[in-house]
Amino acid sequence: MIVALAVAPVVLVTMLIGLRGVAAMRTTSDFLVASRRVSPLLNSAAVSGEYLSAASFLGVAGLVVKDGIGSLWYPVGFTAGYIAMLALVAAPMRRSGALTVPDFAEARLGSAALRRLAAVVVLVIGVLYLVPQFRTAGLVLSVVTETPYWVGVVLAGGVVSATLALGGMRAATYVQAFQFVFKLMMFIVPAMWLLIQAGPEVRTEATQPAEFTHFRDDTTVTFRVGATLDVPPGATVVDREDGPRTLEPGAWEVPPGTTVTFADGTPVPEVRGEAVPGADGWERPLLDFDNEGYPLLGTWAVLIATMLGTMGLPHVIMRFHTSPDGRAARRTAAFTVALLSVFYLFPGIYGVLGRVLVPHLYLTGATDSAVVALPAQVDDGTAGTVFTGLLTAGAFAAFLATSLGLLLVVSGAISHDLVPGGLRQLRLAVVGAAAVIVLLALPAAAFDAGTLVTWGFTVAASTFCPLLVLGIWWRRLTAAGAITGVAAGLASTLGSFLVNVGGPELHGWVAILVAQPAPWTVPLAFLTMIVVSRLGRPAPWATAAMLRLHLHEHRLSPFVSRTQHDGAARDLGHSSWPARRSSAVRRITRRLGR
Amino acid sequence: MTGRRVAVTSPQTRLAHARRRYRGPWRPTTLDPAEMPRAIALYRAGRSRAVAALAALGALVFGLPFLLWLWPALDEVRVAGVPVSWAAIVLVPFPAMVAVAFWQLRRAERTERDLLAPEATADADDDGSGGPAAGAGKTPGEGAS
Repeated sequence: MIVALAVAPVVLVTMLIGLRGVAAMRTTSDFLVASRRVSPLLNSAAVSGEYLSAASFLGVAGLVVKDGIGSLWYPVGFTAGYIAMLALVAAPMRRSGALTVPDFAEARLGSAALRRLAAVVVLVIGVLYLVPQFRTAGLVLSVVTETPYWVGVVLAGGVVSATLALGGMRAATYVQAFQFVFKLMMFIVPAMWLLIQAGPEVRTEATQPAEFTHFRDDTTVTFRVGATLDVPPGATVVDREDGPRTLEPGAWEVPPGTTVTFADGTPVPEVRGEAVPGADGWERPLLDFDNEGYPLLGTWAVLIATMLGTMGLPHVIMRFHTSPDGRAARRTAAFTVALLSVFYLFPGIYGVLGRVLVPHLYLTGATDSAVVALPAQVDDGTAGTVFTGLLTAGAFAAFLATSLGLLLVVSGAISHDLVPGGLRQLRLAVVGAAAVIVLLALPAAAFDAGTLVTWGFTVAASTFCPLLVLGIWWRRLTAAGAITGVAAGLASTLGSFLVNVGGPELHGWVAILVAQPAPWTVPLAFLTMIVVSRLGRPAPWATAAMLRLHLHEHRLSPFVSRTQHDGAARDLGHSSWPARRSSAVRRITRRLGR
Repeated sequence: MTGRRVAVTSPQTRLAHARRRYRGPWRPTTLDPAEMPRAIALYRAGRSRAVAALAALGALVFGLPFLLWLWPALDEVRVAGVPVSWAAIVLVPFPAMVAVAFWQLRRAERTERDLLAPEATADADDDGSGGPAAGAGKTPGEGAS
């Protein structure tokens, strides 16, 4: 019950703030970029709030429990992306004056086909990223309360689409900024409490990794999704009616929906194809996927995907367009690095404590819920329940904030780039997109949220990252080059995912490069763009279009003659040639300005 | 008299907003030739700045895993009970990245400020790295550091 009390305020505050954004909503620009009036500090809080999704709030700690300390490289990549963004993309992107990434592509290269392709890429990334958010919302709600899975999914979809359809980007900005502060509190305070409450014994154990071989207590495990376990001899299960019963050694197919209580001190069954928490290699600070023996390659692959992917995530880029000018966009990126760095100091604490206190979650594959499962293990009284409630509220805020931004870019891609329309159509697109995502998320309970989100990052890294970097910094990029490059990046990443899911069993470095394709798909996309552009010839205005992105907006007032600066008596407040023809109005205003 | 606020846009504006957008023919971006030198200077300054920042970032983000891979012994060394290699993934990258971000931001803003008011800083240019201001308005790109 206390959990319902924790989630309800988050949902209500989200809706209330959303209603606040309704006030002045007239145009597409109001809806998509909050009329570009968001200050850097507010905007960076909103960027951080949007960015700290379920994958950060729950996923990183869960990965630490499952795969080891090396998973702490994910947050490093997530944060490093903003430095690349600050150095390469933030200010020029905002100065392009575009509303969305496809808008930018068209403004720079003048190709309607590229715009449509970019919109399709936005949809792919949006779906890959949104489905796990809704799925985890359903899962977390069903873990802490006894509601069925679909309730959480539909609830998340409803709240997000209502807030967004009413308030647009302005509402999303305030909601996300509020939720960043909220999430930070809901993450740091329970982490401190857990560290103190766990006691010296658990703290020492947390830093001395030992393999999870025997249950420490009578442990109840709920299998929401079926699993195949290798049962060792002597494993004992406690039945509520019949008392203890020894399991048959060997393979055991656990049907979905089973609840099993393992007896105190019995050996732990193994999950097929998963490493046991705390096993050899767990304590290594590198990501050795499936113990293939290439820890450095695995770590670098993840860093490339997360770092470059961040630079190409359309919902993050959309947030930079809400800044009033390029300078504010750059400040937003720098502040975001600082805000994220504070948050990411803490997932490791949940991870190492989770390895000691809730290692059994790995049996069901639900290590995502380690964060919300921890307080109950440390304190089974009121305090534990209260902190479970706080963490659940924080996690729910994480889904809502991220989904808001993503749903906004998805509906922007549909209703601004693919089928341009007015404000009403945008609102309808929000509701329609949310309904489709909810339908996709309902059968997706078994998917690993981390995998899907990493795929989203990889797609962004191999499509939008080269498009933006070359578009902003290389004047010889042509529309044909950009189209083939984006298409090559999209096709190679999606093909790699298909091989990973349905292809043959692979081993060694090939397996890592198929599961984490960023190290070869990103260079492939860059190379395709460069080679195809070299074969063609850039348009005559391409240099001007590129340089225009780097020109700062804070030029002198258009009313003041700038003869004394440049020796040219021109009205430089305007950027287009025909507008500079002398007119009576302009002549008079110029005279007034003197 | 209620406190209700009413939109005061003209009916024509409201009509225009409600209508389907007409997307006119695309026109290429133009750049005033008078501003071209300044744009080139900003572009070059930005490029060298970005290269420096990305080099620092790359050395940090790809170098640290390499060091940890090279010296597995760091897992055994403990400070206050915590293995050094665990602390190194959390306590080294984040402060370093914040430092790189603000260093980058400061340089970017200084370059733009200097280029915005060229003659004001031409004689009082006291900093070494970000001084592309002098004469950038007249000699394209020469001032880029």
